[in-house]
Amino acid sequence: MLLELTGISKRFGPVEVLSDVDLAIDAGEVCALVGDNGAGKSTLVKCVAGIHGVDGGEVLVDGEPRHIASPRDAANLGIEVVYQDLALCDNLDVVENLFLGREKRRGIFLDDDAMEQLAAETLQSLAVRTIRNLRQPVASLSGGQRQTVAIAKAVLWNSRLVILDEPTAALGVAQTRQVLELIRRLADQGLAVLYISHNLNDVFAVADRIAALYLGRMAAVLDAADTTQSQVVELITSGRSGQLGLTDQNGVRP
Amino acid sequence: MARTGTEELRRRNRAALVEQLHRHGPQTRAELTEALGLNRSTIGALAADLAEAGYVQETTGRSTGSAGRPSTLAECVPKAATVTAVEIRVDRVRFALVGLGGEVLERAETALDGADPVDAIEVVTGGTARDALEAVAAVPGLVDAGEVAHSTELGWAGRDLAGDLASATGREWQVVDTATAAAVGEWSRGDAHEATKLLYLHGGRGLTAGLVVDGLAPRGGSIQLGHIVVQPGGRECACGLRGCLEAEMEVFGYAEDIEYATLAAGMGDAAARDGLRRSGEDLGRALGAVVTATGPDEILFGGWLRELYLSAAAPVRSALAETTLPHLRSRLRLRTPVLGDEGALIGAAETGFATVVDRMR
Repeated sequence: MLLELTGISKRFGPVEVLSDVDLAIDAGEVCALVGDNGAGKSTLVKCVAGIHGVDGGEVLVDGEPRHIASPRDAANLGIEVVYQDLALCDNLDVVENLFLGREKRRGIFLDDDAMEQLAAETLQSLAVRTIRNLRQPVASLSGGQRQTVAIAKAVLWNSRLVILDEPTAALGVAQTRQVLELIRRLADQGLAVLYISHNLNDVFAVADRIAALYLGRMAAVLDAADTTQSQVVELITSGRSGQLGLTDQNGVRP
Repeated sequence: MARTGTEELRRRNRAALVEQLHRHGPQTRAELTEALGLNRSTIGALAADLAEAGYVQETTGRSTGSAGRPSTLAECVPKAATVTAVEIRVDRVRFALVGLGGEVLERAETALDGADPVDAIEVVTGGTARDALEAVAAVPGLVDAGEVAHSTELGWAGRDLAGDLASATGREWQVVDTATAAAVGEWSRGDAHEATKLLYLHGGRGLTAGLVVDGLAPRGGSIQLGHIVVQPGGRECACGLRGCLEAEMEVFGYAEDIEYATLAAGMGDAAARDGLRRSGEDLGRALGAVVTATGPDEILFGGWLRELYLSAAAPVRSALAETTLPHLRSRLRLRTPVLGDEGALIGAAETGFATVVDRMR
């Protein structure tokens, strides 16, 4: 397993946001994280990304316990987060954004040619055909193209786990489809993907496994191939579905 | 006796070398030695032999970045062997002349405006069919040995297309169905080469599917997906049955306007949303039957089914989960094709090259 979370707990003051959450993600698979607003999806992601510390439980990378105290720690372990509000610089072009902070140099100069070629190869490997001009400023790109650049950045930097927080939330129909295909291709190239979404169609289109959070607890982690939409909806809204899910309700055991 | 043996072995090795270069592009002798499991000097002799015959050329290749003389690269000569590929649709005919190595040498497209596609073939191919080693036509429908048994899109039943094309152009033609051709294309030039059994679904003015096993199209791999009955006693279909997938999904509306339907559903149009959900469920159920019967390890959603799958994946996969055995669905990969609209044309050409290589053996 590339990433394994065991018994993760997180409190904000008296509020227990995550309680004893287990989740494992392997290379080459898309794991979708679903849950209602306030179920703890974003908090869980921020714990993995090094933005929040955890109050209990262990984070294992490649089977070894790791302490992720800052986003830099996460990046060093190959964990890359693409946020909803894409962290791109509007005044820089596509290549400059892709290499921001890790520019290639030849002597004291930037090696623009090498960067442009590497950027082109990366986009090609992801079968991205929507971005024609790599020297166009990011400000002039559409939402879908910006999302593509943000995701390509993760590939370029040899990340091993890419976390996508609602990447299609602000996109149109055609752009959403392209981003979904891109997500699937990331995993098929051997990356692990943790994908957070509210849209069950999008989740079913790309996910290998679906993890449902309910009020800060992991209700169930299911193989997408064995799951139906109504089961996932039940897990999101009530934490259980038939034999699946949490066995007690709000601390009261039946 | 021994001589014919070595001669035959040599022929086979030559064919293997050509196939390797055609499929995987320019390679060094060292890479070829590794890939084909032949002796380095054998590769050298074969390459020289093929260079003399005009199939292969050797160039001083890419530098590896390290010191030393760059190794020579062997690559195909595109013009040495060409295949004419044609894709027939209800409203147009598309053509590509593809050279050895997969390079597209010429490309053309013509609208039909109600004319018979066979009449347009000579014009669109510009007479290249005569010089090409193989000519292959891809047709949406049920194809068996040159005959189009049924095609919803073209409205044909039992048409001897290979014969018609032969009399129109004066050469022999292979006929494959669009979905199978696209499956071959995706397997050989796309992203699906790891799939042992690849099922390609094609959404045009009807729904067809094609199955390839290890990149080859078995006879009978052409599947009439659109005429699987999902609602016994349901709507009447043009084929004469009732409750066919095509009729239940109102395929013809989607073929025109899948974009509009998904946009309306996304904006909250209840009727559009309900229509997409039901279409997804029907497709999933029909797929369940196909998966149970054929056991593929990858399914590609092509044509407008790509849009439908990405917009209605939840009902498709839910229905599939309810209608297939756990063993069959656990290793099943659902994907969209990387070659997009080009798959069928590329696959038709690859079908031709498979014959070319076979003949060299």
